[in-house]
Amino acid sequence: MASPGRRAAGGNSLLRAARSASLWFLLLTAALLLADGYLIFMVAPTDAVLGDVQRIFYIHVPISIISFLGFFVCAVAGIAYLIRRSERWDRLAHASAEVGVIFVTLALVTGVIWARPVWGVWWTWEPRLTTTLILWLIYVAYLMIRHYAPTPQQGRSWSAVVGIIGFIDVPIVYYSVQWWRSIHPVQVIGPEAADDALEPIISRILIFSLIAILMLACYLVMERMMLRAAEDNITELRRQQQDASPDY
Amino acid sequence: MDSRRNRPTPSDRRHLIEPMQSNNTIPPAAPEPAILLPRDDAETASAWRSHRVRLGILAGVVALAVTYMVFAAFPGNAQFFVTVSEFRNDASLQDGQTLRVSGALVPDTFQRQNGSTLSQFIMGDKEPDVPGVAVDSPQLRASYVGVLPDLFFNPHSEIILEGSYDPHSQTFVTDNILVKCPSKYQSLQAEYPDAIPGDNS
Repeated sequence: MASPGRRAAGGNSLLRAARSASLWFLLLTAALLLADGYLIFMVAPTDAVLGDVQRIFYIHVPISIISFLGFFVCAVAGIAYLIRRSERWDRLAHASAEVGVIFVTLALVTGVIWARPVWGVWWTWEPRLTTTLILWLIYVAYLMIRHYAPTPQQGRSWSAVVGIIGFIDVPIVYYSVQWWRSIHPVQVIGPEAADDALEPIISRILIFSLIAILMLACYLVMERMMLRAAEDNITELRRQQQDASPDY
Repeated sequence: MDSRRNRPTPSDRRHLIEPMQSNNTIPPAAPEPAILLPRDDAETASAWRSHRVRLGILAGVVALAVTYMVFAAFPGNAQFFVTVSEFRNDASLQDGQTLRVSGALVPDTFQRQNGSTLSQFIMGDKEPDVPGVAVDSPQLRASYVGVLPDLFFNPHSEIILEGSYDPHSQTFVTDNILVKCPSKYQSLQAEYPDAIPGDNS
């Protein structure tokens, strides 16, 4: 196996190219997010019933969907890791789980902010809120189990299993408003949404917002994967150094 | 992290330094005794066990929390709320137990004494996607002390009362009022073409 030190030295120009590509991607994402903010606050119509507070919808719904997507990627990469035992799959699973946890946390936070003025309470134990909190706990456990496992290899395998089984909760969250009586409105996006659930202008801004926030999530996942690769390189170099040192 | 585990122990090293005798009196290094314990290292074993205990406790706590939340959200067969007619038709719900009843405010039944936060009103079944109360709906008298949510008086709102029924006064004593938002988002212009923007009362 090539030494990671040499790999890092040889891959310097590659690394620099990746860095500059990711910088351009970040700038594009930032521009789209700024445009998204303009669309949400200046272009989107004021809701007839809910008023201005409904504008949080253009943030709340996309980040919820993207957190589902993050957990989907985590589950698929977890399966691939268990089959192939390749570090790269594990890095993808790890990064998308971390981004998924951040996004589902934001979904809960924006939901709480929206619930207080509209429902009249910050939180209520209704199906979608409860199943979403369970989703949050599952993927926090996913991140914890990596560090609790006795060896990094076991941490990778165990967390992959948690990530795959935990994904079962994602469709439950999506269908919860349909399966049980809920205070959440029924789905406005995805396979179960009614065709006329959203006015054209509202759904167009929602899709723009979804794309902008998806790009942010992709950027975060890529950046986290590079960071994980660097962490793994350092760990490997340290291990080699310790093995090479004669006094142990 | 724990790189010691990957290093050869002194006994392993001896094999490397002293060549094995040809008559094989020293058996070759035994295969790994167990998958779970890589070396007969007491420290490793106890660390592994304590990890296992911690994981067990973690799993137990998570399982208990999840079970509690599932039961808090779905007690028995019950749904998040019952409708006014379901509540009226089921005497077992009217014994003073805490539950949620969903419906709509019957127009012109809301009363509040001056200078008081005590309010009394009548609820009826909500017809889906239509403002106001369903025709021929059973009614439920309710009382509430406190600040009302902003959208309480909106005819589109579905109102969910949290509280319990008092058989003596035949009133639903409300602890909390929740307002369910509409399942469609519509712009002010589309819904009320004549409305002043921002005025959504």
